[in-house]
Amino acid sequence: MKKIRFTRKILTTLLRDKTHYRGRLFVDTASLVARCGILLLLYYYVFSQNGGEINNTAYVFVAWSMLLYFIFMTFGLRNVARSIMQDVQSGTVEILLSRPMSYLWYKMWWQIGSGLYSFIVSFFLGATTLFLIIGLPHTMLTASFFFTFLLTSIGTIFLTLLVYTAVGLLSFWIEEVSPIYWIVDKAVMILGGSYLPIALFPPIMYKIALYSPFGASQFITHTVYESWHYDWPLLISIQLGWIIMMVVVVYLMFSRARAKVSINGG
Amino acid sequence: MFRELRFALYAIKKNIASSAELRTSFLMNVIGMTINNTAFILLWIFFVHSVGVIHGWTALDIIGLQGFAALAYGVVLSVAMGISKLPEYVSSGVFDRFLLSPKNVLVRVATSAFSPSAVGDVIFGIACLGIYATFLPVNFEQALLGLMLVIISILVFFSCAVIAFSVSFYFIDAQNVANGIFEIFFTPALFHGGAFQGVTRFVYTFLIPSLLIGTLPVEIVRDTSISQFALIGGLSVLWFVLSVKIFDRAVRKYESANYMTFGG
Repeated sequence: MKKIRFTRKILTTLLRDKTHYRGRLFVDTASLVARCGILLLLYYYVFSQNGGEINNTAYVFVAWSMLLYFIFMTFGLRNVARSIMQDVQSGTVEILLSRPMSYLWYKMWWQIGSGLYSFIVSFFLGATTLFLIIGLPHTMLTASFFFTFLLTSIGTIFLTLLVYTAVGLLSFWIEEVSPIYWIVDKAVMILGGSYLPIALFPPIMYKIALYSPFGASQFITHTVYESWHYDWPLLISIQLGWIIMMVVVVYLMFSRARAKVSINGG
Repeated sequence: MFRELRFALYAIKKNIASSAELRTSFLMNVIGMTINNTAFILLWIFFVHSVGVIHGWTALDIIGLQGFAALAYGVVLSVAMGISKLPEYVSSGVFDRFLLSPKNVLVRVATSAFSPSAVGDVIFGIACLGIYATFLPVNFEQALLGLMLVIISILVFFSCAVIAFSVSFYFIDAQNVANGIFEIFFTPALFHGGAFQGVTRFVYTFLIPSLLIGTLPVEIVRDTSISQFALIGGLSVLWFVLSVKIFDRAVRKYESANYMTFGG
């Protein structure tokens, strides 16, 4: 009960804080348009040049898949790595560890709360705009879609947080984790289907995306394709498997990291 | 003017020497950034492999584009990293010390910090442009154009960074807003050049000068277009003058945070 109250407090405080800064929301939305909008235009042109289909996939699937990736980007979950790194470098981690709360849960919920407002607004704005322009693919109108979309969205949020938390925790051992962060971030970007949608992946790259934690952390982009209808049990199982594995990894890393910290009084 | 430049060079030299002291961190940043940038090349090569050539843009052109963009980014954010720290300087009151300095405020702010990771961008940019020049292959005239376009690209990038981070004087939550504005400008600069046709080309050339960083320079070198070169040369000077004016005007909005510090 206490934990739920604590989580609710973090989320409501941050939501109130973020709704106050409208400038940031405007910039987030403009950034989404700048990134995703241009890509959608590019792919629109590419698909129309290729007779409307590439690799037996129509533009509408690709557009929605990419939009989902970019909308999830506005959540800013990857910032958890930098946030942990800053805590370690500044020494704030000592204060936070001595408080009667779970440091990792606090960081994760804080990250969710920080991006929630931008995410919700971007989701509704982006989805409505795309729906009005190109409509919905038929795969998004099935009953199973809503259930599996919700399930893999939760999986996407937690696996992303876990992957980046593991990167952030490395700062207990390595002074500068930014280079590792960049490499992991780009792996997620490539294998998640950002600039190149998964429907256009070469076979080997598709396999890597399927079985690596980087690709699995963005399975949300797979949900709009026709293959999702048959593949979702496998994909959600893979995602769940990675979540369990990453929970173990993060737990072990954090236990060792905590043992390394010596809290000085004063 | 020359005294300001001499000061800027002195500050840059000191910043590099100080960063190079932390050798492992410095090298990790440089190597990490180079690998990070390679991801964009891979992505667009996969793209060209899957969908073919669009509006004459081949995989080689994309390597050239990434070269121009990385070099501009690397040069500006290594030697003039202080610009991106403006939101922090303003909100913490550290900006006071720049105002009290007898040197030019913009030069002083810009050269106040150095980013080792941006050196990785410089190396990556040079390597990409080297590959582009070798495989295109470029003649003497194109090579000369390319060199001048690198300077133009750096000037435009610097101007846009100054404009984006000058919003620090107007917003409370300036860090995110400034970063967001900077991304709106820089992200399209990394995109496939074939994506920009018609209205988008006009917008990203004249209203948001993203295409001046890499897309147009690649097309100018490839087609040896002197008229386009003159156009973006003129635009780059215009953006530079505008950025200095915007910065000067924005500084007037600054109110000291009255932090009890000296020097910072």
